[in-house]
Amino acid sequence: MRIGLVLAEGHEAELARLAEAHGLFGVMAGTGNPLTAINAAIYASTATEFVRVVTRVRLGLEHPVTIAEELSILDNVNNGRTVVLADTGDLNLEAGVDEIAVLREALSSRPIQHEGPVWKVPAGLPANATAPKSISVTPKPAQLEVPFWLTGSAAREVGDASGLPVLARDPAVLSSPNLVEPGVTAISGNLKADRELVTAWAAAGVTHLFVELPTGADLAEIMTLVSRHLAPEVLMPHFPRVMSESKVPLPWPGDVSKPGGRHQ
Amino acid sequence: MRFGVGLFGLQNTAMLPAHWAGAYRDMREYAALMEELGYDELWLSEHHFFYDGYCPALLPAAASVLSVTEKLRVGTGMMLLPMQDPQRLAAVSQDIHNRSGGRLDVGVGLGYRDIEFDGHGISRKQRLPRMLKGIEVLEAAEAAGGPPIWMGAQLIDPVKRAGQRGHPILFSAALPFERCKTLTKVWEEGWVEAGRPLASKPALGALRNIWLTEDPKEREAARDWVRASYVQYAGLGWTLPAVGEHEQADFAEETDKAIADTVETTITGSAEECIRQLREFEAIGIQHIAFRLMLDGAPRPALESQIRRLADEVLPKLRDRVTA
Repeated sequence: MRIGLVLAEGHEAELARLAEAHGLFGVMAGTGNPLTAINAAIYASTATEFVRVVTRVRLGLEHPVTIAEELSILDNVNNGRTVVLADTGDLNLEAGVDEIAVLREALSSRPIQHEGPVWKVPAGLPANATAPKSISVTPKPAQLEVPFWLTGSAAREVGDASGLPVLARDPAVLSSPNLVEPGVTAISGNLKADRELVTAWAAAGVTHLFVELPTGADLAEIMTLVSRHLAPEVLMPHFPRVMSESKVPLPWPGDVSKPGGRHQ
Repeated sequence: MRFGVGLFGLQNTAMLPAHWAGAYRDMREYAALMEELGYDELWLSEHHFFYDGYCPALLPAAASVLSVTEKLRVGTGMMLLPMQDPQRLAAVSQDIHNRSGGRLDVGVGLGYRDIEFDGHGISRKQRLPRMLKGIEVLEAAEAAGGPPIWMGAQLIDPVKRAGQRGHPILFSAALPFERCKTLTKVWEEGWVEAGRPLASKPALGALRNIWLTEDPKEREAARDWVRASYVQYAGLGWTLPAVGEHEQADFAEETDKAIADTVETTITGSAEECIRQLREFEAIGIQHIAFRLMLDGAPRPALESQIRRLADEVLPKLRDRVTA
């Protein structure tokens, strides 16, 4: 299992940079105001080179083609590192499945001609006389296929219908055997308790666990706990703890950074 | 005067292929260079569903530039307002404005391509009422500390309406100087009709095709890059309608003539000649100039060189004379 970081609203660039420096695989942006989630993801993206940027997108707030266009820009800004966490919001199963379908079709490399229970794209409105029967949303994303994960009240049903992974909030409810099973949890900063926590998530079959940091935590300390102790603990079965508990290597003489200076 | 560079459409064209992700990276690098050289503004441009990936979502693109700069302003020139939910757009803009320390300018326009409306489920018939409603929402946001509104317009009525509402215009680079002069007067009439003193008006803006060079061969190449950059408007089906004595430029039906006429708007020559022509804009109240340098065919070293030359030889002679 790999560990990522939930980014606090308004601090996305700083925290994403820190997550990357600590070797985490990804960050989760946009957990605050759903309207500004893509802004948060952009700030996380330009502050980093490697981490996956999971972007929470609330469905039902704007035309899905507009959202697909914004996501494609995001994916080009971060050169193919976007993962969409689609929040079903107030949508029911039918509307959620239809909107997800439009988003994914729009982000594919085929032209889109969609007629579902909620959305028809293109709309074929009489006043738009010269509009063609299909459109191609451009630019295309940088990656071949943008991964979609689900969250929200209708997520489980939409996930069953669409085959997409659902973000788990409790390891006990994990049900599907997908190769990617994301989860999210809060850590406390207590090494023993947090080790048990992430180990339980790994044992349940989660593959990518995002951790929320405790409010007011010292960032250097808590990120060291995450990258030195928690992430290695779940990257292999039977992790030999001597690897994380032995003395930290000496710094380069004259180097003003603290031990593990590349993380500062 | 204040100076910017545009229009960033982030395209991968038939004539100048480029990776889209590279175009977004390049834009951030251009922005850093512009900031270092003392430019004030970077302007983006929007279209939808075009083969070259013409940027369809300006706010994420603006955020990407603002996230890596500290002083440079970024303007949307223009965002097609009728195609979006204005409440959402206002919230997203406000957030970017806050994150960037107040450096976003929200320029909005009407849009004209049926396909772009249809792809977003909007009837083209609804574009004007949606535009007006959207402006009301953005005006309320601006009054509450949101980003300044700019307007894109080339016809009498919308230009006058912008003046009445107090929104500065960024004129298209395709408008010859005389047409900018006519429309500036129209805008000022609107400003005064709304009961405001002319002396308090904000500076207006204009995109300008420009290439500073004394070399005839470079001048020829630059004018050809301008030509190539307007071929895309033929592909997009754009028409610049007639205004009074100013003729229509129909890029779709009279492509060669429209493009040739537009190439003639290009300011080329020595620094002295560029400064002389830019002072003419300053004299009629156009004090934001966005150099339209993102041209189809112009290689990056040429663009960087031009951005540097204009910064070194033109900006110091003209800037800091504006109060708005």
